[in-house]
Amino acid sequence: MKVSLKWLNDFVDIDVDVNTLADKLVSAGFEVEEIIDQASKMKNVILGQIKKITKHPDSDHLQICQIDVGAGELIQIVTGAQNIAENDLVPVAMHNSLLPTGQEIKRGKLRGVDSNGMLCSGEELCLTENDYEGASVYGIMIMNKETAPLGTDLNKIFGNDDVILDIGVTANRPDCNSILGIAREVATVLNKPLKMPDISFSANKNIKIEDIVKVDVKDTDLCPRYMAGAVTNIKIAPSPEYISSRLKSVGLRSINNIVDITNFVLIEIGQPMHAFDQDFLEGNQINVRRAVNGEKIITLDEKEHVLNDSMLVICDAVKPACMAGIMGGLNSGIKDTTKTVVFESAKFARDNIRRTSRALNLRSDSSFRYERGIDFDSQRLGLARALHLIQEFNCGDIADGIIDKLATELKPNVINTTVNTINSILGIEVPADTISTILNSLQIETTIDDKGNITCIAPLFRDDIENANDLAEEVIRLYGYDKIVNTYLDEAVHTQGGLNQEQKNEKMIKEICVSNGYSETLTYSFISPKAYDQLRIPQGNPLRNYLTLLNPLGEDMSVMRTTLSYSMLSSLASNYLKNIKKAKLFEVSSIYEPKALPLTELPNEHKNLVIGSYGKDESFYTIKAVVTAILEKFNISGVQIKRSEIPYLHLGKSACLLKGNMFIGYIGEVHPEVAKSFDVKDRMYIAEIDLSIINKVANFRYKFEEIGKFPPIERDIAVVVDEDVAVGELMNSIKRVAGATLKEISLFDIYRNPITVGVNKKSVAINMVFRLADRTLTDEEVAQKMDKIISKLRDDYNAILRQ
Amino acid sequence: MKEKIQSLINEAKAKVEAAKELIEINELKVSFLGKAGAITSLLKGMKDVPQEQRPEIGKYVNQARDTISDIISNKMQELEQKALENKMMKEKIDITIDEVDATRGSLHPCTLVINEIVDIFTGLGFTVGNGPEIELDKFNFQLLNIPKDHPSRDMQDTFYAGEDILLRTQTSAVQARTMINTQPPIKIICPGKVYRPDYDATHSPMFQQIEGLVVDKHITLCDLKGLLDLFAKKLFDSNTKTRFRPSFFPFTEPSVEVDVTCSVCHGKGCRICKGTGWIEILGAGVVNPKVLDSCGIDSTKYSGLAFGLGVERIAMIKYGIPDIRILFENDSRFLKSFK
Repeated sequence: MKVSLKWLNDFVDIDVDVNTLADKLVSAGFEVEEIIDQASKMKNVILGQIKKITKHPDSDHLQICQIDVGAGELIQIVTGAQNIAENDLVPVAMHNSLLPTGQEIKRGKLRGVDSNGMLCSGEELCLTENDYEGASVYGIMIMNKETAPLGTDLNKIFGNDDVILDIGVTANRPDCNSILGIAREVATVLNKPLKMPDISFSANKNIKIEDIVKVDVKDTDLCPRYMAGAVTNIKIAPSPEYISSRLKSVGLRSINNIVDITNFVLIEIGQPMHAFDQDFLEGNQINVRRAVNGEKIITLDEKEHVLNDSMLVICDAVKPACMAGIMGGLNSGIKDTTKTVVFESAKFARDNIRRTSRALNLRSDSSFRYERGIDFDSQRLGLARALHLIQEFNCGDIADGIIDKLATELKPNVINTTVNTINSILGIEVPADTISTILNSLQIETTIDDKGNITCIAPLFRDDIENANDLAEEVIRLYGYDKIVNTYLDEAVHTQGGLNQEQKNEKMIKEICVSNGYSETLTYSFISPKAYDQLRIPQGNPLRNYLTLLNPLGEDMSVMRTTLSYSMLSSLASNYLKNIKKAKLFEVSSIYEPKALPLTELPNEHKNLVIGSYGKDESFYTIKAVVTAILEKFNISGVQIKRSEIPYLHLGKSACLLKGNMFIGYIGEVHPEVAKSFDVKDRMYIAEIDLSIINKVANFRYKFEEIGKFPPIERDIAVVVDEDVAVGELMNSIKRVAGATLKEISLFDIYRNPITVGVNKKSVAINMVFRLADRTLTDEEVAQKMDKIISKLRDDYNAILRQ
Repeated sequence: MKEKIQSLINEAKAKVEAAKELIEINELKVSFLGKAGAITSLLKGMKDVPQEQRPEIGKYVNQARDTISDIISNKMQELEQKALENKMMKEKIDITIDEVDATRGSLHPCTLVINEIVDIFTGLGFTVGNGPEIELDKFNFQLLNIPKDHPSRDMQDTFYAGEDILLRTQTSAVQARTMINTQPPIKIICPGKVYRPDYDATHSPMFQQIEGLVVDKHITLCDLKGLLDLFAKKLFDSNTKTRFRPSFFPFTEPSVEVDVTCSVCHGKGCRICKGTGWIEILGAGVVNPKVLDSCGIDSTKYSGLAFGLGVERIAMIKYGIPDIRILFENDSRFLKSFK
């Protein structure tokens, strides 16, 4: 909300400087985003008169001027301009002046002749012909019509003597989207009286409003109050200077007196007004009703809109003339020929205006205010103010009578509470009389009895005041937040804090990744639907059952991901493309699995872990080691490792992890075509783990197991098997055959040699440690086990013992 | 005979002293103490010693054998030690290089901030609350006193996923969920991702927030101030000061913006705090009783405080990161600087 300091001064005598005022407003809850001093852009540029012009002795085009700037002595300025004559009034930039272009002017010499400033062109003063007649002339701007004394600051002549405050108004204070609303706050913070705007006017008793217009409000739910006034014998003319300069100060263009009045009231009182040309109101009738489905209107911006029955229109006897609260119709507006005007001053339901404005993509200063909420009192104030201005401008005859269609009783909010309640919200003891003074200064009518019972009647313009907390806020923002002291939940119940098991698990998993050299990434939860093509995921694959946002920022960020792998590959690729030789990354983030599309309920949402890497020394096994470490940490055994059919992984180097029928995740090298599509020439490795499964099967039941002091017996075997045999499975077979006596088993070598081992064969060397807790194992017992193992391997894997 | 013995000892001492290699010592051992060695031949010569002198001379010879034996074994130990040292020095490696890569990775700076903040509050008796990122309008807005088509929705543009289903715009949604499901006392801290359709140098369409909520009897604005002051002192440093400025959030009343003294200039004014000495870090307030009531908590018995902060913003302030987008670039060199 842009607020002119001059305008504010109409309502409050502001006797502090603007920075102090701004500080006080900030501490009362109004953020001052900017202070714009109109005069600060141009300094020390004044009106002067050329008394004498002589030729420069050393130049063909320079002239030496003696200028009267009202200071008694003439000053000498050298100029190159040719459009000047003696006795011309001109803008003079004095020594040490500042132009709006940012240029600073100092005295100097031009070809040896002293020049004590500069004569300015319109361009140098950032003026156009619209701002000042003659501003566009090539050369010095001639100001011969000016009557101000010589030496007058041009800021004063141009009306640049206002200061504009840009104030952030929060959504709970729609009353402050007006000069009057801010003025109320200023009066309170400065402890000054508020001078209300003049709303007096006298009507012409011979002209009756009933003869000009009738109003019927059909849909009072969307229009709880509709007021109208009328003016005849209108003389359309430009507004008085102070009106147009006020409007200009807040960024509005002056149009004509009638339109300016509606805008002026909008800014000053905060009440949107509409002015109808009565000639165009067929049947001299205003009907406020919902639109008929398919009904059309062309608005002032010359756009046609097709309406529906959720939208409110202001109609004459025949057709819509205005989109209620948003924008007038093209034909019913004020023209130079307008003779009779009907002013509308109405309250419309804010949510309805908001919906209609969004549905039609049609916004205006009116709709902005209606969306935020207009109180029930502004209609009266706004209409009276408009009629007062008509009278002040003497531009028409005010009809006798005001139409007021009010659908509900006007009831201010009444709050009954106590001093104790307010103070228990704040935690400090604000004295009762201070509470009373503060609230009354805000026009909240407050009485406090000697028992501390408070009764407050909130003014109509403060319908945000509903309960004791609202009052507490009003009290503390004016009493001062610096009075709030530190206390430490002294009266709260003691609680035990901490993470739950899943949160702890996530932290542990991250720690495992970090200690294995992986760094955590942060990527967007939304990806492009094209990601699924890039990952070669076929149509119908469950991963493609993704949720698409209804209003994404763009296609690239339109789909809520069902896998983290695309984001991980993008992160790896972006590192690779920066010539970073090696990257090891991980992320724990949610994926989203809709139960039905379009959504009828919230999707399944759970966290996954993704790990990815590329670079020297990276392999399927380096990633697998991390996954194994996690499975070990959570004591998850019996995980089956199967070859995977994940479409974006390498056929021969990828695996799925299963626990029973639960899919834990996958590990693999990235499919070469997918890597290529990311422009990555290195091999990339990736694993994605479903943490909801990990959380489900994690097991922290540690149990003591007697190790015993009896010596273990170790055995190594080497067997030759087909290349295709999965060694992990082979070792699992050994474990099953050997039973609990086998305490440790490890692979220590795989050897391939077509001559000594055989073509498509490999020799697998395995170390086994047997031990019993309660006695020494005998060689015979172990030999028996070994026989069983060897025969099992022979039967199941065609394994030949290598001697 | 005595002289002979003494000179033998002296000879042994001199020879052992001069020896440089273990092998020489072994030879000396044989020549002095061996079966055909000097001591043995002395003992053999005992038969020529008069009977009455034999005990005394015998003692001398035995002492001499012990002395020489000690000299030799001491020297042996010394040389063995040296040999071992030599051997080790031959195995000498370049200790200034690294041959095994056990470099740690790193947590994302935002995670570091979350962990730190969660640690502070769990230490104060808070548990960690969670809620879905794809959320019902009810929890994200309506229960928080933000009705449909209300202007306060303009404060937060929203991504929609379906009828009344949206990407949560604030972790405050977890507040509503928690209060609907739990009776006081409630003390939760809720980190999580939130989404708003803004995208520029200071806004990311996805970012992270941490929400805090306390609901109990007799919770006041002063408790909020104390709690946040304590928090700011732990997160930044113990000299940090906190101040409240009035503000507006639909779900708190009174509502405040919370500033802390700039951790870079300590309140003197610098580029980071734009010369003010203060940095805005979070929004907070006393829970609006309307919110308590709509979530099924009796506002005549209980009161609450709530606060919410932006994780990225804190990370940027704490680590001096100039542009929010750096946090989402995932450049591994950047990430590793947070080891």
